[in-house]
Amino acid sequence: MPIFDLNKLIQQLVYDPKNPLLFNQGFFVYFFFLFIALYYIFRNKVVIRKYIFVFFSLYFFYKASGYFVGLVIISAIIDYILSNAIFRQTKKSSKTVLLILSVIFNLGLLFFFKYTNFFIELTNNLSGSNYNLLHLILPIGISFYTFENLSYTLDVYRGEFEPVKKFSDYLLFLSFFPKLVMGPIVRAHDFIPQINKPYQLNDEDFMKGFYLIITGLFKKLIISDYITLNYVNIVFDDPSMHTGLENLVAVYAYAVVIYCDFSGYSDIAIGIARWMGFNIPTNFLSPYQSSNITEFWRRWHISLSSWLKDYLYIPLGGNRQSTFFTFLFSLLFFAGIFLGGHVLFNLNYLVSSIIAGIVLFVFILPAIILKQRKQVGTNLNLLVTMLLGGFWHGANWNFIIWGALHGVGLAVHKVWNLLTGKFMPQTRQRNIFKIINVIITFNFVCFCWIFFKAKNFNDAITVIHQITTNFKSEVWPSFFSNYKSILYMMGLAMGLHFIPDNFADKVISKIGKKMPLIIYLVILFAFIYLYGYFKSAEQVMPIYLQF
Amino acid sequence: MNATKKVFWFVLIFTFIHTSISFLSILFNFSLRDFDNVNILTELFPSAKINQKSIHPELIKDSINVNKVIEQKANFDFSLYKKAKLITNFRTNDSAPSSLPNLMKSLHEIKNGKKRKIRIAYFGDSMIEGDLLTQTLRKLMQKEFGGSGVGFLPLDCVSADFRITARTKNSGWDEYNFKKTNKDLYPSGHVFYSDHGDFTAVNNDVQNPLSIEKSLICGKVMNDNVIFFNNQPINIKSESLVNRIKLSNDDNKTINLKIKDNSIPVYGVSFESESGVIIDNFSYRGISGIELSKIETTLLESLAKNNPYDLIVFQYGVNLLFRPNDVNFNYYERAFNNVLNKFTNAFPNSEFLLISTADRAFRYNGEYKSAIGIDSLVKTQATLAYESGIAFYNQFESMGGKNSIVEWVNQSPSLAGRDYVHPNAKGAEFLANYFFEALMNDYKKYCSKLSK
Repeated sequence: MPIFDLNKLIQQLVYDPKNPLLFNQGFFVYFFFLFIALYYIFRNKVVIRKYIFVFFSLYFFYKASGYFVGLVIISAIIDYILSNAIFRQTKKSSKTVLLILSVIFNLGLLFFFKYTNFFIELTNNLSGSNYNLLHLILPIGISFYTFENLSYTLDVYRGEFEPVKKFSDYLLFLSFFPKLVMGPIVRAHDFIPQINKPYQLNDEDFMKGFYLIITGLFKKLIISDYITLNYVNIVFDDPSMHTGLENLVAVYAYAVVIYCDFSGYSDIAIGIARWMGFNIPTNFLSPYQSSNITEFWRRWHISLSSWLKDYLYIPLGGNRQSTFFTFLFSLLFFAGIFLGGHVLFNLNYLVSSIIAGIVLFVFILPAIILKQRKQVGTNLNLLVTMLLGGFWHGANWNFIIWGALHGVGLAVHKVWNLLTGKFMPQTRQRNIFKIINVIITFNFVCFCWIFFKAKNFNDAITVIHQITTNFKSEVWPSFFSNYKSILYMMGLAMGLHFIPDNFADKVISKIGKKMPLIIYLVILFAFIYLYGYFKSAEQVMPIYLQF
Repeated sequence: MNATKKVFWFVLIFTFIHTSISFLSILFNFSLRDFDNVNILTELFPSAKINQKSIHPELIKDSINVNKVIEQKANFDFSLYKKAKLITNFRTNDSAPSSLPNLMKSLHEIKNGKKRKIRIAYFGDSMIEGDLLTQTLRKLMQKEFGGSGVGFLPLDCVSADFRITARTKNSGWDEYNFKKTNKDLYPSGHVFYSDHGDFTAVNNDVQNPLSIEKSLICGKVMNDNVIFFNNQPINIKSESLVNRIKLSNDDNKTINLKIKDNSIPVYGVSFESESGVIIDNFSYRGISGIELSKIETTLLESLAKNNPYDLIVFQYGVNLLFRPNDVNFNYYERAFNNVLNKFTNAFPNSEFLLISTADRAFRYNGEYKSAIGIDSLVKTQATLAYESGIAFYNQFESMGGKNSIVEWVNQSPSLAGRDYVHPNAKGAEFLANYFFEALMNDYKKYCSKLSK
């Protein structure tokens, strides 16, 4: 008879840095069960129900990141006080001072934990100084909850939203556990009114929630984990060891992985929220179906792109005007292209400035075509938004380059749109034209992923170098026979991705009422067994295709 | 049913069933195959046997029985192979303090002002590709004992674009290698032919002295006016299977060669100072070392005569661990023994050193651990060295032994790639430093014996 170990039970209850809480742990099953049971028992007592939710959320936070849970509480207190103060002030100038305080606090927090090392290194490189790096651990979820804080105080400042009276409401909004690690970024005006509503669900809600949770788990734990562990990590770890063919497949595989990982997590969060009676808007809408890059950003990480639009793009001037910051960051960008070309690619000053000039021309072209000067500002605002949006993803030049590529992509698409609208309006409507556009867009997005995934700039260039000069298509037979399972998995993911968006909703509204509970259980256990299978599935061995 | 109730009941029933299955499986100790991986109670019952099934103890036992019994010799101690950071020839301390006495003697001579060259051939697989490990070792050795130049550069290899210590560029060559031919192969595993070949090499990593001797390494040359060095023809005729054709001796770092005769087997070039330590990197991706038997004995003999080595190092092994459950390497012992015989016969004046595999991990039940066959492989390699009478160095123990590769991968900054096989540039630097330390210890032993 195996012995029950009480110490192990106690150990399970405290934070373990080597094993932070995630949805896929046995511990989560009990956490979730206890939470649901209490939430259900007190479903009609709004206040108790809310405190249960807050408690479980903070505990989840603690299990996932230890004492950093304190940061969430502190930032909730500060923003709660500041937002109420902003609301009470009648003078615009005092409101502005308080808003600036809030921005400084939140961005300061984010900068301190996320970007300190980046700027120390930058200073060391530029000035030859030798400051020591601070090896700070990035608190989980900080990029998300600081953005939620910011949008909240900004909304209050703009008078769009009356701040919450109860601190517990605000704390729940900020710490809501399903969205903790990877979003989505929830907006207060969507979320807070739902806190005190009666807890009611219909069968369709139940099924939709279940569908989101199970597909999310499948995307994240099976597709993404399998391809990452057995292929993507190995190639991106040292791209120079692999042929162009392997590198190219790794780029496509990463496109699948990042989508499955990110959207899978979002779906689980949205699904759990749905079961708790909260509606959170979709975060990913089959982004690789996009037929242009502008559409891609309406389908990819929607909560982030709409946040950036409302709180960065519009304050910069949006499509109406340009501001000091528009030109400051744009100037930095063009200086970056010029110097980057010279330093990284050894181009001479003339060639470098010609390239910077061409890019600048792309940004000005819509204004020339439309004969509207403000178009220049619009385009540059978009560029700056993408640059800073890229930087939000991580403190690394590669993310800035990734953002810049998307910014340029958006500008090129704008020009393309104007030109095709003018010269070939009929062709634009044809299906074949659309299919080609989807393929081009997908490949452009994949190209940008190279910079997103590679450890540093040199590795990204190595990936491109291998694909362009060392492709070695002759290794295909041995490649295929070794990596079949990876390719099938990618095929499955892409196949599912191209099912029309409303298909699942249609099915759910049709059969949602009729499905007995036993079927849900069978599906969940089937998934669990599948997960167990893939956990121990024989590892795909990396092979050397190049001799 | 109201759907809020449905959520509650669903989660309740699910948790109940899942817990019950997990509990029963632990209580009665039965396996549910893949479900064992998602047993949610194993953490609380650490003594339960479930989940520990995938290591095959019977296999490990089997392999150790299969490995033959090592013959005990007087003044020899086979178990010395287990020691980290030690170069051993298995002799117990009193009988021979240095494991590589001839090399140490030569090193001692040049340390004391004698002008001579000490040449080391370092054979390996992808672990030393792109001059990893050897570039650090070369730098350390040249700093300590003098010497300059990267040594041998093959005409082409898969990692040519990424090598830091040298750049090469080539066009117009037909390439043959271990996989395609047995004829005229150089120890690098390659041979190149061309009637319009062009080759440029730059030695980036020059220590002191700055003056470097540049040579072409090739096979038989029967015609005049077919080799051009920096666009000047060089006339040499030679029947030898390996030729070192001296091109220049100056402080230029770049050379260009054109060869217009496809009967000449071309191997590469060499950058070497006139005296000091020179280390040639012979890396070939994906091999186990057995492939070296394809090199013709006559070619090796010619190499020993015209391009001799003081020390020949073999470092292989990770490619033998290509499946997670392999534990028996007796086939390798037989096959690599032939390679050792071939080389030791062809190079009667060289010393030999066998370096064991480094650590390599596989995923066993979702967790990365050292390959279960690694002890068996290291022992097999040590047996090879012991029985051939050559020196041995335990790379696996030196890098930290069991599961060290897992630690290397997880460290920040990491020291190894996430294939759990290859130390990265930083990791290779560590390996080189450990090995250098071992060499220096052997050198100190030699010196202390001299002073007695």
